[in-house]
Amino acid sequence: MTPAQFEKHIEPRWQKLEKLLTDVEYGKPREDVEELPATFRQVCHDLSVAQHRMSPQRLTQQLNALAIRGYRVLERHSSGGWEGFVRLFIVEFPQAVRKEWRLFWWFTALFYLPAVLIALITPSHPEWAMALLGPDGMAQVESMYGESSKPSDYVRESFGSGFAAFCFYIWNNVDIDFKTFAGGIVGGVGSLFALLFNALFLGAVFGYVHYSGNPMTLYTWVIAHGAPELTGLVISAMAGMRVGWSVLRPGRLERRAALVLAGRKALPLLVGAAVLTSIAAVLEAFWSPLNLPPVMKFTAGGLCWVVLAVFLIFSGRGQADAA
Amino acid sequence: MAAARADTLQPVELADGVEIQLRVAGPAVRSMAYTIDLLVRLGIYLVVWIAAIFLVLPGLGMELTAGLMLLFMFFMEWFYNVIFEAGARGATPGQRSMKLRVMSMTGGPVTLAQAVMRNFLRVVDFMPALYLTGIICMLFTKRFQRLGDLVANTVVTYADPPPAPVAVTEIRAERRAPAQVLTREEQAALLQFIERAPLWADERRIELAAVAEPLTQAPGVEGLRRLCGMALWLQEPEEKRGTPPPLKGAPLFRS
Repeated sequence: MTPAQFEKHIEPRWQKLEKLLTDVEYGKPREDVEELPATFRQVCHDLSVAQHRMSPQRLTQQLNALAIRGYRVLERHSSGGWEGFVRLFIVEFPQAVRKEWRLFWWFTALFYLPAVLIALITPSHPEWAMALLGPDGMAQVESMYGESSKPSDYVRESFGSGFAAFCFYIWNNVDIDFKTFAGGIVGGVGSLFALLFNALFLGAVFGYVHYSGNPMTLYTWVIAHGAPELTGLVISAMAGMRVGWSVLRPGRLERRAALVLAGRKALPLLVGAAVLTSIAAVLEAFWSPLNLPPVMKFTAGGLCWVVLAVFLIFSGRGQADAA
Repeated sequence: MAAARADTLQPVELADGVEIQLRVAGPAVRSMAYTIDLLVRLGIYLVVWIAAIFLVLPGLGMELTAGLMLLFMFFMEWFYNVIFEAGARGATPGQRSMKLRVMSMTGGPVTLAQAVMRNFLRVVDFMPALYLTGIICMLFTKRFQRLGDLVANTVVTYADPPPAPVAVTEIRAERRAPAQVLTREEQAALLQFIERAPLWADERRIELAAVAEPLTQAPGVEGLRRLCGMALWLQEPEEKRGTPPPLKGAPLFRS
């Protein structure tokens, strides 16, 4: 068969595929759409033959473009919609955290130990915390948790309403989560830095309030939303480290492949962290400013921590492993 | 094929076993697409801000409007690209205007997860300024992938095949069988020569035909004529002979 004959021979096939694809792409498939996969395979076969026979570039390029178009249509993924998203959070996220339990405890320790350390030394050596907070930070801490101030008053003054505060927390805190994750690709350095910086800052706030403020207002304020917010930060740093670690130690895989695999493993962690932080934003905006007796605040806050722990330990168990 | 190494075609094997060529896009055209996206985003911000000031502000008050705007900014900054790239066209408005498309390295469309991965890592690709990290990374990977592309396993490709060259003159040469047996690559070289020859000046045709002098056994215009004749023979051997062109044999080109 000469090249010209070959071209003429395959022409009806790719023209048919083109028509079928156009129908599907415009969302108006006709009855003959069932022939699409078979026609697609046939055109793929023609493309292979054309490539092997080194047919004119015009022909191979055209078939190549058609093969890509067809593949896009046939391999179209459905993201699973909201159901998929809920499953990602309820099943795959806790599974991923449990699978990476070593990393989780490492990062939990890396976060809380420096925080507790700096909080403990601040009453006797306040200069560390002061340096970390800076004059603006100290002024803000005073106005929120000072002897005669309440955080809810401060928040009402700066945001006006609970919803505005919620928007601010999403914009600020979830943004920090995402950036903490992204920084991880540099061998985990960015994630570690963000984690440690936030730990030191948090520790400094706690220490400084013990030093010069009213610790009770601080604890009643943060106990509830702290659970999802801090855990979200730790987990987003974990997700970043998951990716960074694959750069440092790809194991038996090629670095490129290890990176892709780590990205897939990190995604449920990242999404889970973002959802946790969003929940924290809701709590911080609507629950934390309520002026309730401390007993209620601590009970509810403790409950938050317990619910979170139960969720991470038990949710999604027995479900098929999302791999 | 030496030609494949000089262009930006990247072979990918589809799940169906067929190999396709992806024409990956380089930093320059992607930067232009990014700039257009930046302008589109600025435009959207401008419109929404004005709408917020005139429509939302009187009803909801300053704080609530500011809060809503923060929320809007958060979604624009993190999800503008994600939503467009995971959509049916696989391209942001900027990429579409530059005729680019984001594809999975498997040859299929980008999934939502991949779109999230490649765009969330923009923060790092941007460092220290103006996507320096991303551009350097692109220059060191053969598929022009920035860090986000590497993790998400995606490439940015041209959406359409390149414009095919159109022959402007008819070739008048007598069909003749090559004196030697030609390999598949050599046949392809001849076929591509005849396909492109109409686009060149005479001097260039003769210059290139001179390379094949060991085959044509003639210099200058006569060599070109014989070469074209052989190419025509490859395209359409005479009906009566019916023998397919020989497949293997001595190399045509001087090494």
